[in-house]
Amino acid sequence: MSRQAILLGLLLAAFALAPLVAGPYLLSVLVVVMYFAYVGQAWNIMMGFAGQLSLGHTLYVGLGAYTAAALFVHLGVPAALGLFAAAAAAVAVGGVIGALGFRFGVKGVYFALLTIAFAEFTRILFEHIPGLGGPAGLFLPVGDRGGIDLIHLRGHPLMFYYLILAMTVGIFLLCRRLVRSRLGYTWLAVREDQEAAAALGINVFRAKLTAVMLSAGLTALGGVFFAFYYNNLFPNQAFSMNRSIEIILAPIVGGLGTLFGPILGALILTPLGELITMATEAMGFKAAGIKQLCYGLSLLAIVKFLPDGVWPWLRTRLGLEPDAGGEGES
Amino acid sequence: MSGHSSPMVNRRGFLAAGVAGAAILGLRAPARAAQPLKIGLLLPLSGGLAREGQSCKRGADVTPALLADMGMPVQLMVADTETSIDTARTRAEKLIADGAQVLIGAFDSAHTLAVAQVCEQRGVPLVINIAAAPNITEQGFKTVFRNFPTAPKLVTEGLALMKDVFKTTGTTPTKAVFLHNNDTFGTAMAGAVNKLFPTLDMPFPLVETIAYDGAARDLAVEVGKAKATGADLVLLVPHGDDCIRIIREMVKQRFEPKAVVSPGSPGMYEAQFYKTLGKYSDYCMTNLPWINPKTAMSQALLKAFSKAYPDALFEMNIGYTFEAILIAADAARRAGSNDPKAILAALPATNIAEHVMIGGPIVFDAKGQNTNTRSATIQNFGGKPLVVLPSDVAEAKPVFPAPGWQQRG
Repeated sequence: MSRQAILLGLLLAAFALAPLVAGPYLLSVLVVVMYFAYVGQAWNIMMGFAGQLSLGHTLYVGLGAYTAAALFVHLGVPAALGLFAAAAAAVAVGGVIGALGFRFGVKGVYFALLTIAFAEFTRILFEHIPGLGGPAGLFLPVGDRGGIDLIHLRGHPLMFYYLILAMTVGIFLLCRRLVRSRLGYTWLAVREDQEAAAALGINVFRAKLTAVMLSAGLTALGGVFFAFYYNNLFPNQAFSMNRSIEIILAPIVGGLGTLFGPILGALILTPLGELITMATEAMGFKAAGIKQLCYGLSLLAIVKFLPDGVWPWLRTRLGLEPDAGGEGES
Repeated sequence: MSGHSSPMVNRRGFLAAGVAGAAILGLRAPARAAQPLKIGLLLPLSGGLAREGQSCKRGADVTPALLADMGMPVQLMVADTETSIDTARTRAEKLIADGAQVLIGAFDSAHTLAVAQVCEQRGVPLVINIAAAPNITEQGFKTVFRNFPTAPKLVTEGLALMKDVFKTTGTTPTKAVFLHNNDTFGTAMAGAVNKLFPTLDMPFPLVETIAYDGAARDLAVEVGKAKATGADLVLLVPHGDDCIRIIREMVKQRFEPKAVVSPGSPGMYEAQFYKTLGKYSDYCMTNLPWINPKTAMSQALLKAFSKAYPDALFEMNIGYTFEAILIAADAARRAGSNDPKAILAALPATNIAEHVMIGGPIVFDAKGQNTNTRSATIQNFGGKPLVVLPSDVAEAKPVFPAPGWQQRG
């Protein structure tokens, strides 16, 4: 067994056993950590592996969340079925955006702008759909808060904890398989040099579109979790630009295009925020925004001193080999 | 800036009012508890709602000293939700882990519902200071108590008060035009106004609804369009300083309706509005929940607030945050214990006649909603907002129609 596998096994065991020792506060922080690890990993497929920058990725979170929630609220469709519709809706929209952009040669920052435009457009659209609550929000009945109902996603916070843990492990394994597959290698080729990839006979359009649609569908599942965990959705929050930035921070800090980067990034960022809050409170700094200032400075330091992200640096220190699929080679 | 004239009410008077209120309620005389009640206060102190959250916090800052005088010592544990639902939930867990016996918050409805779920799970009472989504108290929570009107009630009262203004002044406009900011808040308000307007038997027709971009520097087209309707009443839902640009443009285009009235939105009672527009800010009206200028408790709060924050606006956020803390402290006192379970048992029987916001006694229905909240009409006079309706708490008489822009001294 490789050292990398041992490290991952230990991390997984720590998360699996955490509820035995951690209180509700720490568990709620870990849920946020894993949520951002999950959606960060989904975004990483598009940007990290295929090199397509999306700055409006919350579009898919919102679409997934609203689709599953609306089906549940209005038609009583359980979340276990609603998630398929949620993923399908996001895949379809991702496909439209990707096809529109790639067909007309929209690349780089211009493609990123297109993703922002769609997220904003969708936010405004959802604010004008009365059946989804409009700007007044869509509320899910909270219902059973003590049991475990995975079909309807109603139940104890611990159920949500293990659900997001399973989702994070699942997307990690999926991405690991993808980067070692033929599709994964075509993404890497497109990411490194699109023209060269095309010259080698790779269907660049299809490769990029597949990345966008897969990333969109997986991100939408994160949205389903978001909707049923918090039980309320507002367009200005579900589709907010801030949310898009939050999604991409973990993979960027952890290491873009690496499998472990989004997890490590989320493990650093969310606890860092909590630690800064505790530290500033303990030191008596009560000015609002001091946390954000420290948080921003910490991010600056990470980007300045570890521009490839924390994981490539840490992996070198731990003497671990890069993944065979090209992980960390960017 | 303070919004009310300030008869001298000292803390001793405030204590007397509190004792009298307690006596009226049939409560035992206040006995200082051995330990202060630990209250976790969740507010958006940074992020998109920082302005509103900090306004609430200013109200909270002056509250412990006032409540201590009433024999209700409280210790506030303030947490910043950062205008984020994730942070709101984790902060709520942290406050409870740190020993908070009651939570108060959280200004934003989405954040409040996230916090409510934590409170329900942990058996800790949540007293909502501000959050208007009706669904919060429709979820069957046993630990949630809201001392704030629901969004439909806010808009209904905001419109209905206009009829009272016309009745009081004996003048009714012939038609109105509705201008609103096209952001999330403005769109929500517009939806509610357009839905409720036909049901309220308003004495004037709404001839046109015009949405505008609050960030636009030039609103000449929108104001010109409104003027072209021939309306003699402007219903305005601004959100921030856009109302300044609207009024400026109205003055420039000599659009002189009988009044500019907001059915419930921030903007026209804020310091920047007065400072920038001067005499043109006068006579604008806003209908919203407001602090009752005529209770001893509100005067004591105003005095403490003005001393601590001489330049800050004394408004709704401060009053409701004070009252939320008062409700929690009152329940703990009646329960004779700071234990969350005991406070939870005492909260449904809350009946606070003497408080600071306009409205009847603070009582909760079976869903935990205070049904006695009431909106007021405030009108600007000489650079400050005064209550003009309801008449029993009014500080001035409503002026309608307002004098023309050029007829103001």
